[in-house]
Amino acid sequence: MTDTQTCPACAADMPAGTLFCESCGASLSGAAAPDPGARPVDLKGALPADGATPLDEAAPISAATRPAAPAAAAAAETVPARVPCHSCGGPIGPDGYCEQCGTKAPSERDHFREAPADWVAGVCDRGIRHSRNEDAMALLASPVAGERALLLVLDGVSNTDDSHIASLAGARAAREVLRTPLPQGMGTPEGRVAAVTKVFTDAVAAAQEAVVATTPAGSVSPPSATFVCVVVEGNRLSYANIGDSRAYWFPDGAPGVQLSVDDSVAQQMIASGISRAQAETSPQAHAITKWLGRDAPDLAPTVGELDVTGPGWVMVCSDGLWNYASTPEELTAQMQAAGVTEPAALALALTDFANARGGIDNITVTLARLPGAPAGQNAPAETGSAGSVVDPEEKN
Amino acid sequence: MAEFTASVYQNEFLPDGGTDVNAIVTVTCTGAGTAGQSGGGAAGEVIIVDTSGSMGPQTMAAAKQAAMAAIAEIVDGTWFAVIAGSDRAMLAYPQVQSGPGLVQANDATRAEATTAVSRFVGSGGTAISTWLDLAGTLFASVPEATQRHAILLTDGENREQPGSLDAAIRRATGVFQCDCRGAGTDWQVEEIRRIAQALLGTVDIIPEPSQMQAQFEEMMRSSMARGVADAQLRIWTPQGAQVLFVRQVSPTVEDLTDRRVVVNPLTGGYPTGAWADESRDYHVAVRVAAKAIGQEQLAARVQLAIGDNVATQGLVKATWSNNSELTTRIDQQVAHYTGQTELAAMIQEGLAAKAAGDEATATTKLGRAVQLAAETGNDEATSKLKKVVDIQDEREGTVRLKAAIAKADEMALDTASTKTTRIKK
Repeated sequence: MTDTQTCPACAADMPAGTLFCESCGASLSGAAAPDPGARPVDLKGALPADGATPLDEAAPISAATRPAAPAAAAAAETVPARVPCHSCGGPIGPDGYCEQCGTKAPSERDHFREAPADWVAGVCDRGIRHSRNEDAMALLASPVAGERALLLVLDGVSNTDDSHIASLAGARAAREVLRTPLPQGMGTPEGRVAAVTKVFTDAVAAAQEAVVATTPAGSVSPPSATFVCVVVEGNRLSYANIGDSRAYWFPDGAPGVQLSVDDSVAQQMIASGISRAQAETSPQAHAITKWLGRDAPDLAPTVGELDVTGPGWVMVCSDGLWNYASTPEELTAQMQAAGVTEPAALALALTDFANARGGIDNITVTLARLPGAPAGQNAPAETGSAGSVVDPEEKN
Repeated sequence: MAEFTASVYQNEFLPDGGTDVNAIVTVTCTGAGTAGQSGGGAAGEVIIVDTSGSMGPQTMAAAKQAAMAAIAEIVDGTWFAVIAGSDRAMLAYPQVQSGPGLVQANDATRAEATTAVSRFVGSGGTAISTWLDLAGTLFASVPEATQRHAILLTDGENREQPGSLDAAIRRATGVFQCDCRGAGTDWQVEEIRRIAQALLGTVDIIPEPSQMQAQFEEMMRSSMARGVADAQLRIWTPQGAQVLFVRQVSPTVEDLTDRRVVVNPLTGGYPTGAWADESRDYHVAVRVAAKAIGQEQLAARVQLAIGDNVATQGLVKATWSNNSELTTRIDQQVAHYTGQTELAAMIQEGLAAKAAGDEATATTKLGRAVQLAAETGNDEATSKLKKVVDIQDEREGTVRLKAAIAKADEMALDTASTKTTRIKK
């Protein structure tokens, strides 16, 4: 056995047992033969028969909520096929560049896609201007559409040390807290809200602990990240955020709404009466007033919930997307312009839209398609199957 | 077993809208071993000596000595032959009429060949095309000799109908490699350089008969050290990209651009001949479609292939940036070899202008050559230029043509014009 391993994405050497590359942040766990090329996971097409996402092996940050069949274990050991070039569809060479057009294949950390169920999907992408992807996402979904899902996005703050590692660690930690159904309190709305707020606060605390744990010793610019999540349980959307990553609800045939409230200078300006357009283009627009990290000023998330009736889209995204379409109306227009209705394809289309507009920041788009479940399913914990959540690490 | 490595020197950063990528790729071979002994087929050597009537007694005596010295350097087991060339080519050794035209080297055959060379007598004219054609026929008669190399010595201008030499060069291209030497000053540098360049060999002047033996020994020793029979430089470029040029720039400048053969739609192959333990530098220029700021892409994969196996690969990249500190930097290697390539052109064009009687152009071009030789630290070029021009200001490139120039000095400057120097990496 060797004491070192080589990052499959950037070829940096580091001690054996390291889970994420200290150089580029790529996942190292479960990686098979060192492969200098990138292996983004294409979930646009059919999922593997067992429902597991190929990324589970390497970076278990998303999971189906159903146990894998025993046969899946053997299948999961095969290395996922290298996906074609994102730019031209050509094959990716062993050197990590497209053999057709020469485009650099993004590393697994720089571009990954997940779809834990056919109604929930996300894309996390480096964008164009940034040298690495400091966004992270974590998804959970029950197999039955509309039953239970988690969409979680952390946007690592650039210009801080290792925020790409911190954001991913934070997303994974928070996902574990949110794996079980939200509590119902003592049966009163107030009691339930207090209990849910407590769970979100715990999720933030877990993310915070993970982010701080990745902080390099003596860091003068400790890693920090935003936090936003939506838990879908039947017709109820419960959400929490810190910073300026956002959650939206887009009901079919009705105006969309932004659920989260930014902790940003721009939001403070809007609150003081300045127009959104003016505030969001001001020099201070992207300054956030709350964040996770060793120097976090305030770890209390803004929490809320919304009961929905008809079908629609839940979106949780980073500012890499909403920089180019901030209002629910603008986003709705882009979703319609994409011309696709499948969650994975739509998330990819919106990522492409942001990249086409300049990709000035990392882009994360996560979506859940709600079928518009009949009323009365607001307590999924009692329905049994919705609460069965599988730990991807156990599954392997 | 020979091993190849490739290193790339470039500034990968392009400004917004930038399309042209330049890189120097150094390919290094180690562990080449000995010619014909690496399992890739046997080696073949043909020594071609000019035995025309123009060879004076002193030159002929030296040529015999030199040929014998070269024969002595041929490694046991190597297939070889000796050609006496005049207005036709004669197979001096082995003296066979049919069957294999090469014999394997051992003490006995080397002694027989030496005896055959000792009987050379100068007579007749100079028809180099027949020499090359006979060499080709000899190599073809022993198919197992796959690494084929010839040494050609001449002392005079080719006396054939225009076109026949070029036709023979075309027939020999890709069949064997050929190092060429001119004795004295009555031969044409341009003519012999054409042979050497097409046949992946060197060209040089041997001004004095006394220097001949050492040169022949050296040529044969170098050839015997080339344990890698043949290799191909391959350049992959992305779809829609254009290879602007491919040049070998060290140890000598050779433009390979037009020697491209199609490997596949995106990859071109360029011949490199046999390899000893050595490094060669290639200057590759590729034009790609501009991408957005922040995008990175591969502009070229530069590979060395032996047969169908890629032995090494260097990646030439392009990254678009709006940081002008990054994009305006010119890679030191690229700048150095761009200067050395221009130096070779200035020397050749300057001497051609001088030969045509255009002293003004000659002075300008050779002045620029002096300037470039100084800038790029090519001391050999500087010292050879000094024998042709009086340098008034090296930095400005102001020179005056010398009133009396020894023909040999001018030819030495010409033959050495493509030799380049390296800079520290």
